[in-house]
Amino acid sequence: MSDNISRRDFLKLSGLGITAAAVMTGCGPSSRYVVRHAYVDMPEYNQTGVSTFYATTCQECPAGCGIIVRTQEGRAIKIEGNPNHPVNLGKICSRGLTSVQGLYNPDRIGGPQKRSRGEQNITPMNWEDAVTVVTNGLANSGKVAFLLGLTSDHLFDLVTEITTAANSMPPFRYSSLATLEGRATLVKATEEMFGKPNLPYFDISNSDVILNFGASFLETWISPLAYSRGFKNFRKQKFGKRGYLISFEPRQSLTSANADLWVPALPGSEGYLAMAIGKIVAQIKSLPIPLMYENITISDASKISGVSETKLQEIAEIVARAEHPIAIPGGGALVTENGLQTAKAILGLNILHKNLGVPGGVYLTNGDSPTTNLDEIAKLIQEMNAGNIATIFIHGTNPVFELPKSLGFTEALKKVPTVISFSSFEDETVIESDYVFPDHTGLESFGYQRVLAGSDREAISSVQPVVQPIHDTKATVDVFLAAATSVGGDISAKIKYTDEVDFLQQKITPLLDSGGFYNAPELPTFWSKWLQYGGWWKPEMGLEIPEDNNQLSEKIDLKLPKQLSENKEFHLITFGTQMGDGHGANRPWLQETPDPMTTLTWNSWIEINPDTADKLGIHDDDIVSVASTTGGESIEVVVYRYPAIRPDCVAMPFGQGHTALGRYAEGRGSNPAEIWSSLLNQAGNLAVFETKVSITPTGKRRPLARQESKAGVYGEH
Amino acid sequence: MAEKEGKEKWGMVIDLDICTGCQACVTACSMENNIPFVGEDEMAYGRGMQWMRIRRYWEGEYPEVAPAHEPMLCQQCGNAPCEPVCPVFASVHSEQEQINLQVYNRCIGTRYCANNCPFSARTFNWFDYELPAPMNSYLNPDVSVRRRGIMEKCTFCVQRIVKGRQNASASGREIADGEVVPACAQACPTDAIVFGNLSDPESRVSQIARSDRAFRELEELGTDSRVTYLKGGKNYGS
Repeated sequence: MSDNISRRDFLKLSGLGITAAAVMTGCGPSSRYVVRHAYVDMPEYNQTGVSTFYATTCQECPAGCGIIVRTQEGRAIKIEGNPNHPVNLGKICSRGLTSVQGLYNPDRIGGPQKRSRGEQNITPMNWEDAVTVVTNGLANSGKVAFLLGLTSDHLFDLVTEITTAANSMPPFRYSSLATLEGRATLVKATEEMFGKPNLPYFDISNSDVILNFGASFLETWISPLAYSRGFKNFRKQKFGKRGYLISFEPRQSLTSANADLWVPALPGSEGYLAMAIGKIVAQIKSLPIPLMYENITISDASKISGVSETKLQEIAEIVARAEHPIAIPGGGALVTENGLQTAKAILGLNILHKNLGVPGGVYLTNGDSPTTNLDEIAKLIQEMNAGNIATIFIHGTNPVFELPKSLGFTEALKKVPTVISFSSFEDETVIESDYVFPDHTGLESFGYQRVLAGSDREAISSVQPVVQPIHDTKATVDVFLAAATSVGGDISAKIKYTDEVDFLQQKITPLLDSGGFYNAPELPTFWSKWLQYGGWWKPEMGLEIPEDNNQLSEKIDLKLPKQLSENKEFHLITFGTQMGDGHGANRPWLQETPDPMTTLTWNSWIEINPDTADKLGIHDDDIVSVASTTGGESIEVVVYRYPAIRPDCVAMPFGQGHTALGRYAEGRGSNPAEIWSSLLNQAGNLAVFETKVSITPTGKRRPLARQESKAGVYGEH
Repeated sequence: MAEKEGKEKWGMVIDLDICTGCQACVTACSMENNIPFVGEDEMAYGRGMQWMRIRRYWEGEYPEVAPAHEPMLCQQCGNAPCEPVCPVFASVHSEQEQINLQVYNRCIGTRYCANNCPFSARTFNWFDYELPAPMNSYLNPDVSVRRRGIMEKCTFCVQRIVKGRQNASASGREIADGEVVPACAQACPTDAIVFGNLSDPESRVSQIARSDRAFRELEELGTDSRVTYLKGGKNYGS
């Protein structure tokens, strides 16, 4: 990249040289005010053949990775990681890479629409009328609800201000990804053990043994790029030392595939395993056995989990010998009925090793994690059914697709007189809406994202437009601000921002002298640096250290996992993939990038252990009917015989099975949320892994596009 | 096609111990190099266009079972089997970079080169694949868009090598180690892919390639491949 910078004035103003390899600019297509220049004085983003790079934040999942977008002639070309950003240090995953396919997707909604529910009857609107519709919704402040996703933190903050001012229901935030990660459970367990409702940060870089209970931290769990980097450091330590990863999971995820030891434990039994390991380790190290781990015998733990006593002993010895063994409570272990107690038993192992706030140990992150528990969503559904909601605003989430069908959200939506979606795509929820007022996509938006769990320091990542909006879309924050001005009453009196950028600038003003890695005397300078660097963060590591307050003296009470009738009933494991919460399914290159374990593309599947499949007479590519044994709903899905799964479990990926969302997503595979049990654990997290299913062959077959067969699967049939 | 000693001899090392198999390199390569997506049916016919693919082989029996992941791409052979079979010299060796290039406007689609590649690293455009507007907006202007009947493969992101050389010569210096990074290595979340100049014995890639764990795929064929793998697997050296 060139050392020559054309925008001298801008750089003089901000007093910056070039620090990164890329020339990053602070304004450009994002400028709010029109300044006229001579034609020869072209802005650099409009010069033919010259690339301009913008730092912003990936909006494909809530991890908040910093990205640098290469643009040329006003088009976004390529997404690259931001080398300075504390979460991903220049790295990027498949989901971020394909976000340009979201921006330039041919199936985007071009402008505001009035719709007839369930039909393709669409009337285009203008934005003035759209704002009036939103104003009318806000006016009835006692009967308004907001359902938001986990990205767009600035929108969440504004909506919180609006609901506080109007004294209406606070906004809900839902993401199926967070459900599968067990976020709510992890936050609750951390709160009960360490007194703070925050996500913990696991410093795996410096630990020598990882006990991983169901966290797929190399694929989707909380902050996959941060943990992938941690995994690399864990494997490549000083003096050639190599960390040892032990993973407990009924179905081998990519993370378990990279483990040195994969232990296929029964879903729901992870808490027993943690207790048994804690007990043996205490014995080996001649420590008094803590109350938390007292109430278990090794043979019971072995019988319940299906892990042999010798293996447990072997694992405990590895852990006892280690300097900084770290125990991670992840998705699989948390989304069971035992989830909360299991999380505590696992977090307790870190206390037992005095592994709190030391390199290779557990820290607490800053800022609370605003994930709504499913029990609150269930209450919202009750309110909707009772007719207490007149208007619901839905942004950044696709509840009709992502919530378990058994919860009855779609039916409840029919009782809400006005449903307004802000989606960029015609997804399943838009089909059930009266209005859609499309927001800009992530690469066209302003905003910020608080980094919750992937960074070893306090960090806020900034979002800025890298291209002009390509459709007649409007920032949802601007829509709400316009409506808030005209609605009158408390909202107009308290919400005083001229536009989205004004709102953002007011929100970041407290950061000016908060000891970030750059300082600025006043807001305009701070703002330009904020955009140039892609956010604000502290110059050195600094996280809160959790305290050892005798938490291990709390007894743990676990329920026995349910017995299943062999070969008739199975535990259904649902795992996250590159499709994320399902909105990735309309990115063709995410569809065509093979699943790392099965090499499958463009579809979904159900994984069955080959032994079980033989007993049931099921072959690869057979279509089976998967029926929930509790709810009775069923879906049809194609079989992939998967050698690395317990014989009493079957597994399905999440994210496919769309009935809407455009040409690349529709009609591919099935959505496991349709058969999810709506059982909750003590933390109010959906106990996804408590779903039990029966499998029946349908006699139909459908070959799946697997890359593992280089000759092509169609040739085999 | 014997190689002359030059200043540049680009090569790559992939450390299989930290490669997790996550496929970020595959997507990064596809987005950088304007690779068309072909859809479910064509994938199922084995006509996927990924220049880079992760080979996955299951090893062992349940419960001691795990996949072995290995990124496979054009190995940029010094003695490339694909080169001498091309009747129209579309598959050529570049003197400057010492890599294996495909000249798209010479290629007539005989597919002899793909037949002769022991690594199955070449992909063929069986059709013109649709890229509906406005998706064409994200195409990389530095990379040609190929059409039906053309063979293609990994180029070690030659457009980035050229840009790196131009930048270096504009400021009157040699290309620095680590200055040129292909899209796969840039994305790789665990830094398992290291790229650099093998003619410089002090470059990072040369140093890592001398590891005890180093091996090259199908070395017995004598193709002199430029991609070195570092053995992965469980518990080595402990």
